[in-house]
Order: sequence, then structure tokens, then C-alpha cells
Amino acid sequence: MIQALQEILTRAGETLWEQIVIFVPALLAALVILGVAWAIAWTVRWASLRLFKVAALDHFLADSGLRSMMGRAGRAPGARLVASGLYVLILLGGILTALNVFNTRLTGQMVDGVVRLFPRLLTAAAILLAGFWVARFLGRETLVWASNEELPHPRRWAAAVRIGVAFVAVVAGAELLDFAPQVFLTAFIIAGGGAALAASLALGLGTRDAVRQALTERQAKAEEEKVLFNHL
Amino acid sequence: MDENVASVRRADIVIGIPSYNNARTIGHVVRAANAGLLKYFPQFDGLIINSDGGSTDGTAKAVLEAQVEDSHLLLLETPKKPVNRLSVPYHGIPGKGSAFRNIFEIALRLGAKACAVVDSDLRSITPEWIDLLIRPVLLHGYDLVTPYYHRHKYDGTITNNLVYPLTRALYGKRIRQPIGGDFGLSARLLSIYTTRNDWESDVARYGIDIWLTTLAVVEDFKVCQSVLGAKLHDPKDPGSDLSAMLMQVMGSLFALMEEYEDRWPDVEGSAPVDLFGFRYDVGVEPVAVTTSRMLDQFRHGLDDLTEIYEEALEARTFQQLRELAGDSVFLLPDEVWVRVVYDFACRFHRAPVGRGQLLRSLTPLYMGRVASMVEETRDMGPQDFEERMERACRIFEEMKPYLIQRWNGAAPLEEEPKEVMQEVKP
Repeated sequence: MIQALQEILTRAGETLWEQIVIFVPALLAALVILGVAWAIAWTVRWASLRLFKVAALDHFLADSGLRSMMGRAGRAPGARLVASGLYVLILLGGILTALNVFNTRLTGQMVDGVVRLFPRLLTAAAILLAGFWVARFLGRETLVWASNEELPHPRRWAAAVRIGVAFVAVVAGAELLDFAPQVFLTAFIIAGGGAALAASLALGLGTRDAVRQALTERQAKAEEEKVLFNHL
Repeated sequence: MDENVASVRRADIVIGIPSYNNARTIGHVVRAANAGLLKYFPQFDGLIINSDGGSTDGTAKAVLEAQVEDSHLLLLETPKKPVNRLSVPYHGIPGKGSAFRNIFEIALRLGAKACAVVDSDLRSITPEWIDLLIRPVLLHGYDLVTPYYHRHKYDGTITNNLVYPLTRALYGKRIRQPIGGDFGLSARLLSIYTTRNDWESDVARYGIDIWLTTLAVVEDFKVCQSVLGAKLHDPKDPGSDLSAMLMQVMGSLFALMEEYEDRWPDVEGSAPVDLFGFRYDVGVEPVAVTTSRMLDQFRHGLDDLTEIYEEALEARTFQQLRELAGDSVFLLPDEVWVRVVYDFACRFHRAPVGRGQLLRSLTPLYMGRVASMVEETRDMGPQDFEERMERACRIFEEMKPYLIQRWNGAAPLEEEPKEVMQEVKP
């Protein structure tokens, strides 16, 4: 009895030892890879920050109007954002390489999944970035237009446009990643249809008089300006 | 178009009239131009070209049928050569600039020695205008003749508050009506204009006038002014909105600042430009202005467009604007206004993205400036008003170092904002 127990324990210990012998070098290799990846990522971030500083990237982004197009969030220094992006990308590459060392089914699937998803992730990120840029741009166009036309609540008009365009970008990104496509598509249709219906009802029924009054006032203002002013 | 033009073999003098649905007024302009050619230049081949943007109200018919009646009463000589007349459509971007381009190309093709362009909605044009616009070119060697009108103090507010003082400070020439719209031009200058490749920009629309004037000045052509008397005309294209007009004029002006950035920084002060014609006082149509709506637009714009102004304006200037907007009696000091204009020019220069937004966002600030000027000069006569304008222009000139510094990307000059505010507060 005791001997049998001893054999079981010995076998378990041997198995454990065998697994440790197999696992530890891989673990060590993974840790080394992670360490190297982190070191590279850190160095790249450090170097790129300095490079961007020398190249005056923040000034370029600010002066070219690109930074402002990213909205309030865009007020974070662009150089730091780009450097951090590089840091995360390199670190992610290191993690994937480290996981691949274990050569198990699970890690293999994870690595495969990420590698296969990566191009689509990049595309989705590009769509989102472009979408937010366009949203910001059109939002501003609306803001300036509404302000010059003396419409009530120009900022709300601008926000509505911004949200609408950004939402379209999110739907496109989600569609590309196959991430809850039905949910986003349905939400998009409901939101779009709802907005159109609300606008139709508001114009057709509820605010008919208000619209008429607003149009009359606008015409009167135009007439007033026409008579009073020759700006050139 | 070519068939019509081909029917005319040559022309010494071309009078161009751009139009779009001006049937009601263009007949008078054509008659005045015709009489002017017959009376003052009977020995030359004259041609009147109407460059039309697709009018549907019979503008072309009005041009071709307009007759100079009672020529003996106008003391017209029997012309040695008849005055031809054409009405041709122009192509491309709809606008005054495209119409001008068409006129200039035809004038060059026909070998014209001098060309004048006049608006089609003028009610105060007389045959003498043709003499005053053409003679300096034809007989005195000038390349560009700009108009010098008597206008009501509240007429031509973009000219008074932006274009005249800025052009004068930049290029050092006191051309009082740089965007007057009626010009005399030499063939030499026409050939420069027609070979340019920026016709498809704001130049095609309201940006044309400042473009013509600026190019003539910076390319060292001989420029003069002619006293044309009062300018009475219909409202300028009622369909177009102020914001677009402002954007096109300022867009053209700022774009030329960029193109000639090696020229204007070296110019200090300003010099008068030759003025032809007999100066006389004349009554002008009164312009009644209420400023409350303009001030509303200024104040709302300042709130709504904060994110744009924070980027475009120096922090101190924006803060001053906000403080001034809260005053019960609003007055926008010249110093602050000049900084606004210069900051917008620098922002335009540095930020190629969103230039249209930037220029359109100037509208509320411009309205504030106009309202301020109206309130400040309400009791002033024409002479006092001109002196007030002169003071503003001098401040534009004195603050030019600020523009140069900002244009070159240097930190703004440190000044005491409080002094400015105390000086102007009522």
C-alpha cells in the first residue's frame, strides 16, 4: 500500500519534473523575448519621441490643423501618441512571439487568431481614424455654417453631425471585424430612420408654424441686409 | 462665342461688362460705355463685350438693343469708327472672375491697347467714367486704373475694415478702392493675368478684384486711381451670402500674401498713388444701419466658435474679445481688430487644412468690427470718417512687425493688453 502510494507520488513528481523541464526553458525563453521586446519598445518610444521633437511633429500637427481635427482628445501631444502607439505595437509583437514559444494548441490558436485578425484590425483602426477626422471636419463645417446663418444652438447641430458621422465609422469598423454586425446595423437603421421620421414629423406637423415663422424672419433679415449693406 | 468674336476683327479699346440677370440695369451701363467711347475715343476701334453667366432675364437682348439716344444732346462727334457690341457667355466656375477672364482673353485676341471693366448694376456710371478709366492707360502709360468713388461711410465695409488697410499695410500703396470692381487695364497687364494658373480658385468669384489690384502692385506695374464720383448701384448679387463673399475676398488676399511673402515684409509705411480726375463733393445715398443684430451675431459667434478662435487667435486677443463682448457699449479697438486680422492671416498661412472654415469663421468678428465702427462714427461727416479710417490704416502699418513675427512662426510680441482696453473703453 505504502509502496503503491510511493510509486504514484514518484510518478507524479517525475511527470511534474518532466513538464517543468519542458516548460521552464520555454518560459525562460518567453521571458527573455518579452524582456527584449520591452527593451526594444522602450528604446523605440524614447528615440521616436526625440525624433518627433526634433522634427517638430506636434507643431506640424497643430499648424496643419490635423491635431484639432481629432477633437478635444487630440489636444494630447501628437508625438507622445504616436510613440506610445509604436511602443504598444512592438510589445504586442513580443507577447505574441513569446506565446508562440510554448508551442501548445492554445497559444498557437491565440497567435494564429491575432495574426489573422491583425490586418483587419489595422484597417478598422484606419476607418475609425478617418471617420473621426471626417466627423470632426464636418462638425466644424456645420458649426460655422449654423453660426453664420444665425441658427439656434449651432453647437448642437455640429455635435449631431459629428456623432452621426462617427457612428457610421464605428458601424463600418464593426462590420469589418465581424463584431456584432447585426447589432450595429440594426442600431444604425433605427437611429437613421428615427432621425428622418422625427425630422419629418417636426417639419410636417409640430413645428410647421415655427418653420414658417423662421423662414419669414430669415427672408426679412435677408431683405434688411440687402437694403442696408453693400460690403464690397 | 467664337463666331461672334470672329465677326470682330480688331479692337483698340474693349469695355467689358460681366453680368448675371441684370437686364434691368445693364442697358444704362452699355449706353454710358457706348457714349463714352464715341465721345472721348472716336478715333479708336471700340468694342463693348458683355460676358454673361447664363442670364435668363434677357440681359443679352438688353445689351444688344441698348441705343445711345439723342447723340447730339450728348455732344457726340460722328464716330470715325463704329462701336461694336458683343454678348457672349463665359464658361467655367460661375462668378465675376470667370467673366473677367473671358473679357481679357477676347481683348488680347483682338489686339486691344486698353480695356476697362465696369459692373452691370451701376446706376451712376456716365460716359466720363470710360474716359477716366481708359485715358490713363492709353495716353499716360498706366497699367491699372482703380476707381476712387464717393461712397457713404457705411458702404463698402469689407473695403474699409479689411481690404484697404491690409493691402495698404502689406504693399505700401494707398489704393482706396482696391476691390471697387471698375478698372482700366493695359494690354501688358492683361497678358500677365491671362497666363496665371489660379483662375480656378476664389479668383473666379469675388476674389477677382483684390487679385487684379494686388498682382499689378506686386509685379511693379504702374497703378493710378481715377475719381469717378458717386457709386450708386443695385445690391451686389443678393443671392450670395456675406460669409461666402468674405471668404472669397480674404481667401484671395491671404493666398496672395503667401505667394508674395518675400515681397511685403520689406515694405514699410505707405505712399499715395496718383489720382486722376476732378475731385468734388457729391451727395450719396444714405445707408441706415442698426447694429443690434450684428452685435448679436458677434457675441453668439464668439461663444459658438470658441474652438476655432482658440486655435486662430493669440490667447490674449481672444480673451480681450470676450471681455469686450460683455461691455454694455461695445467698441472694438483698432489694435485688437488688427491683431485679429493678422492672426487669421498667419493661421491661414500655417494651416492648409480647413482654410474655408477659418475664413468663414471670420464673419462674426467682422460683424463686431462693423458694428463698432458704425457706433463710433455715427455722428461723423465724410471728412471725419476718412480721418478715422486713416487712423485705423496707420495702426495696421504700425503693427506690421507683429504680423511678420507671427507669420514666421515666432512667439507673439509681449504687449500690455490692459493699456489698449483702457484707452478705448467709453
